[in-house]
Amino acid sequence: MMDVIQQLREQAKKLLEEKKVDLVIGFGQGTELARTTPVFIDSPEGVSKLTWGPFCANNLAKYLTDYKNAPGNIAVVVKGCDSRSINRLLDDNQISRDKVVIIGVPCSGQLEWQKVAAEIKPGASLKETADNGDSFSVKTDAGDYKFDKKDYLLHRCLVCENPNPVVSDLTIGKEQPVKNYEDRFAEVQALEQMSTEEKNAYWDKQFSRCLRCYACRNVCSVCTCQICVFDQMLPMWVSKRTNLSENTAFHLTRAFHVAGRCVDCGECDRVCPMDIPLRKLNQKIHKDLGDLFESPTPGTKPGLASPLGEFSPGDPEEFM
Amino acid sequence: MEARIVNKGQLSELLDKLAKDYDLIAPIQEETVTLFRKISGAKDAFLEYTNSDISPKGCFLPQNEKTLSYMYTGDTLEIDKPEGAKKTVLFGARPCDIKAILTLDPVFEGEKFGDEYYSSKRESTVIIGLSCSKVLSTCFCYAFEGGPCDGTGSDLLFTEIGDKYYVEVNTEKGKALADAYSQIFSSQGADQLAKDKEELAKKLAGEFVRKVDLTGVKELLDKNFELAYWSGDDQKKCIGCGTCTYVCPTCHCFDIFDYTTGDFNGDRLRCWDSCMYPEYTLCAGGHNPRPTRKERVRNRFMHKLKYHLDRYNMVGCVGCGRCVKKCPVNIDITKIINDLKEVAQNA
Repeated sequence: MMDVIQQLREQAKKLLEEKKVDLVIGFGQGTELARTTPVFIDSPEGVSKLTWGPFCANNLAKYLTDYKNAPGNIAVVVKGCDSRSINRLLDDNQISRDKVVIIGVPCSGQLEWQKVAAEIKPGASLKETADNGDSFSVKTDAGDYKFDKKDYLLHRCLVCENPNPVVSDLTIGKEQPVKNYEDRFAEVQALEQMSTEEKNAYWDKQFSRCLRCYACRNVCSVCTCQICVFDQMLPMWVSKRTNLSENTAFHLTRAFHVAGRCVDCGECDRVCPMDIPLRKLNQKIHKDLGDLFESPTPGTKPGLASPLGEFSPGDPEEFM
Repeated sequence: MEARIVNKGQLSELLDKLAKDYDLIAPIQEETVTLFRKISGAKDAFLEYTNSDISPKGCFLPQNEKTLSYMYTGDTLEIDKPEGAKKTVLFGARPCDIKAILTLDPVFEGEKFGDEYYSSKRESTVIIGLSCSKVLSTCFCYAFEGGPCDGTGSDLLFTEIGDKYYVEVNTEKGKALADAYSQIFSSQGADQLAKDKEELAKKLAGEFVRKVDLTGVKELLDKNFELAYWSGDDQKKCIGCGTCTYVCPTCHCFDIFDYTTGDFNGDRLRCWDSCMYPEYTLCAGGHNPRPTRKERVRNRFMHKLKYHLDRYNMVGCVGCGRCVKKCPVNIDITKIINDLKEVAQNA
């Protein structure tokens, strides 16, 4: 990964030096060995903060809307899944293409940091990481470790549609093969097999845990409303109270609001402090959109028609 | 200080008895998440945890709390207040979380703004702490004079030593409980375990990896409300969710509102709120004194590192590390403390 890091820094430096962009948003080393954190670099000297590896879970495309009215151009580092967000933001007119320089980095999976941290000697610092195909090597000052992808990847990375960015201005690193460790819709199919009562019980149990911290909403790259309906005071659609009814209203409304726009980046799942499997809700919608309208995952191509915003005479009409 | 011994084999019996005689709140595991809930017996308890995902602050400040009910019958308005708290035991809280309760006490039990809902629960609850047996990479309780085996604030503190729990009796309330179950809390041989506990405490104290130094931080913040530091990466990367505040054992902001259910009937509720939310400080007329994430992020850390100290002479952080672990973008209070220390040194 060292060569990718080196090239990333060089390219970022060049973009800033040549004043092609005013800001580079990328990954920097986090405060835990197995974590990165978003970094915002506005000078060529700052590029040494940039890093890359199997700990770059965040979808940085999320930040582009923060800068849509800022002067100057923004460069952003994206993985394959994150790049779908960019297509989606462009199609939603949330960002303008000429303001964004997309630095795409092919990705061979991201590791779940808590699982990795549990194995590594506390306090160790990271030296380098390497991809061995089905595992990652992590070299630290306290020894070397190996993490098998099937056991340590983020859940969302076990199935990956786009290891390579679907849109980018410059690509750093070599192209990665598609590699799946699971069947994409296996979990959704298992849920579909349940009776209505069982499904109800399953989701009631999940939603009743929700703290309504809104991390799932706030991390979502396609949640772009300026004032969210759940933040409105008048009318107050949901109160500050957490209970099953209002929690369910929040999660189902959100799932349907991003239906046809959700790019399946899996960030909602990752950030939930209560481990609510939120992505399953949207995966069900992805599966249905695929089955009913042969609709690909949103964002996989620029200018994809929104499956729920377009009508064609051949659409199924089973409810009519 | 008095001490007792509880054989590990008798813990189930104790928890079953406590669940019968009290409302027993203890850590449970729901799927992958550890949190505190009322349990019906030992079978529900989950004690093999290091740091629960959610702290037990909800025992005293629930996320949702009914403060009164109102009923208007046409002629009269009736107001019902909930009954006082039931006899409760909070079992298995970690030392940092118990210390966090001590930081809440002056907020809700101060002379000026006494809060009967909080006090009632506080008075009727016996806190049984459980020493840590492990230090996580995100832990830093030592920085606030805490420790993995620190009994401050607990009525009884259990420390696991081999096949026994060494139990420190820290208050009269704790003593009364231990005496009431004297067949389980044995006085025999407790002194011998005192040394083992000291050794464990010393060993764990050496396992912290996060260096946190508060030197000069309070003084810096006292003199500077505006600091260039607050315009840095933290406010840029913050996504404005409430995770840090909701998992924090010392955050205590709430909102009060009426929830009308019928024509003129309803409940007045008090629910957790978060200073990370834009509408938290939104005033009538539309003015917001903390209009952007910069002001909101600054407020959270000023509250922890300055305001709580100003008001109550206590740091508003206990080093549990939950916000460090759970923040989606890795905003880390220990980094902020160390950065501010550096800013202070270079000022």
